[in-house]
Amino acid sequence: MRVTQRMMTNSSLSSLQTNLAKLSSIQEQITTGKVLNRPSDSPTDTSSAMRLRTALAQQNQYSRNVNDGNAWLGQIDNALGTAADELNRAHDIALQGANTVSMDQSARDALAAEVDQIRSSLIATGNTTYLDRPVFGGVTAGSVAYDASGAFVGTTGTVNRSVADGVKVAVNVNGPDAFGTTGDSVFDHLSALAAALRSNDTAGITAGVSSISADANRVNTVRSEVGARENRLDAAGTAAKNTQLSLTSSIGKLENVDLAEATVNLQAQQVTYQASLAATARVIQPSLLDFLN
Amino acid sequence: MSGTFGSLNTALSALRYNQVVLDTANNNIANAGTDGYTRQRVESSSVSGGVSGLWSRVETNPGYGVAVDGITRMTDAVLDARSRQEHSKQSYLDTRQTVLERVESGIGEPGDSGVSAALSNFRSALQDLSNQPGQAASRSQALATASTVADAFRVQVANIDSEAAQQRASAQALVGQVNTVAASLASTNAAIAQSRLGGSTDNTLLDQRDKLAAQLAELTGAVSTVQTDGTVSVTLGGVALVTGKQADQLVIASGITATGDADGSPVSFAISDGVTTTAVPDGQLGQLGATAELLNTTLPAYRAGLDAVAATFADQMNAQQAAGYDASGAAGSPLFSYDPTNIAGSLAVAITDPDGLAASGVAGGAVDGSNADAMAALGDADGAYQRLVNGFGTQVQSAQQVAANQQALTAQIDNAHEQLAGVNTDEETINLMTAQRGYEAAARVLTTMDSILDTLIHHTGVG
Repeated sequence: MRVTQRMMTNSSLSSLQTNLAKLSSIQEQITTGKVLNRPSDSPTDTSSAMRLRTALAQQNQYSRNVNDGNAWLGQIDNALGTAADELNRAHDIALQGANTVSMDQSARDALAAEVDQIRSSLIATGNTTYLDRPVFGGVTAGSVAYDASGAFVGTTGTVNRSVADGVKVAVNVNGPDAFGTTGDSVFDHLSALAAALRSNDTAGITAGVSSISADANRVNTVRSEVGARENRLDAAGTAAKNTQLSLTSSIGKLENVDLAEATVNLQAQQVTYQASLAATARVIQPSLLDFLN
Repeated sequence: MSGTFGSLNTALSALRYNQVVLDTANNNIANAGTDGYTRQRVESSSVSGGVSGLWSRVETNPGYGVAVDGITRMTDAVLDARSRQEHSKQSYLDTRQTVLERVESGIGEPGDSGVSAALSNFRSALQDLSNQPGQAASRSQALATASTVADAFRVQVANIDSEAAQQRASAQALVGQVNTVAASLASTNAAIAQSRLGGSTDNTLLDQRDKLAAQLAELTGAVSTVQTDGTVSVTLGGVALVTGKQADQLVIASGITATGDADGSPVSFAISDGVTTTAVPDGQLGQLGATAELLNTTLPAYRAGLDAVAATFADQMNAQQAAGYDASGAAGSPLFSYDPTNIAGSLAVAITDPDGLAASGVAGGAVDGSNADAMAALGDADGAYQRLVNGFGTQVQSAQQVAANQQALTAQIDNAHEQLAGVNTDEETINLMTAQRGYEAAARVLTTMDSILDTLIHHTGVG
């Protein structure tokens, strides 16, 4: 094989270029901290990374949805707790009123007034809002679930939160489910009790005792069911958080550079580059002319 | 035995021969770094004593010196043709790789600013809207992120369009360059034919001819054939571009208007000799071939892919939007609009009022977010887009690999060519020294002959 100076120069130049290109690609990885800087760096990993990023955004959203749902259910839980307390008090009053022997009409009127108080405070509880939405109003666009007369003015409906792929949890309680349907609601029962107390209608008062006791039971049942839903949300929230962690670490594994490995590669590449520079310097310099006088 | 003066002639021929060898080595050294220069070598033969006359005395003689037969270019036509072919492939692949890498860097995936991220953000905003359908803020947010998605698509389309525009401009420039080079080649051909007619060959002209032929190959993938008269004929896809001293015009037949815009049809070329115009088949190599391929296939394919993703996205969103009810309780009107002839490039949000988002799945103005939730769950566009990006990334990767492989092959052919045609300065130094010593020896012969003649003239028969 005949070798010319130009061949040597060209091949030195192209190998120097190759080495520099490798150096620059490792340098890019280290300075950006990423091994995936463009789809062609690894098309498969890129589409995995994109899929994981989409999934991560979804899981983040699920976490937000869980937080929002928890706020709803927490508000409902509180409201139902208050309602149960009020109803217990009303039940006590009804029992007291039923004890006709020890009571005169003025005492019963006082009890009736207290029942009215409880009723209006229960209506306020029924109109509890979260972010300006009545939590017992279903999907109503209005600002209240119950009007001043205790009639349900909301729109029965389900407020769902997506908390996992394909998993929706209802985060609201429709007023009638907790407080009874209009006409047979806790508010109607309380007005009936107050009226019975005022008119000393013993049968009415006794009926009030049992109906209010049933109302309190219903509220407690709904409250325990709300608690169960909160648990579901918590579980979903934990799952979403765990998934977020594992997705983030998967994305990191795909996209981020292994700094130790990259640094070692950089070192190795640097050595190669210096060696090829040294070889070039040795090979290109000498010529026959150096040895002739 | 030749005459005494004949010996002087022999020495003269040696002087002349060595002079030519010196000059050739000198020229080789001078052009050691010249691109396209081919190493030259002096061809010589000894001059015979001739045939003795019929009645002459039988005579033996060593010959009458040396004759310079010519100066050969150390080249191989087959290798040259191969080199041109590999270089035209190389420039095709390099051009393609450069453009694909440029388009790829505009995709911005994986990252926080591409279409994929915009789709994710839009989905999150829809979920927030589903959580708070009554809040003006969440509605505005959802509408703003919808615009971001449309923008992200349009940015990519604009990116591809500007690349296509650049390629069209580059095709026009390349065609002009091809015609200039072809005209130079034709006039070089004419000069070669002329000098052949005069009985001489000018190696510089041949070097120039080969260099121009190589340029045409790199530009277009044109095939050059050396004719017996030393000229080169160039054909592009079988259509003659340069024949002897005649250079035809390469023209853009379709696809690019005079102002550099696209005219809707695929890019194609033709060669016109002033009377007839012959179409050049598609699939040429070289830079021009790569430009045509990019404009006709690769860029439109990616753009069509984007269009399909954008159409899937817009259609699904619009269908789901139509299934729901906006803040006033009316059925949702389309959320996205697009021009079917340019889907991704014209994707825009069609509603301006945030209340127009059909978040509710319940008629009659209820504050419900179930339809927004359903919209957020639509993920077909994401998958399609990921596949599109994956496909494009694979294309870029394979273009890089093929170009790198071709680079190895081209380098090997270049090496083979350099082995034959390249100048080795050590070798030329030795040639130079050999010629110098030869010259000195021939000069010594002259001195010797002179001394012999001196003896003969001044010291013989003189009383």
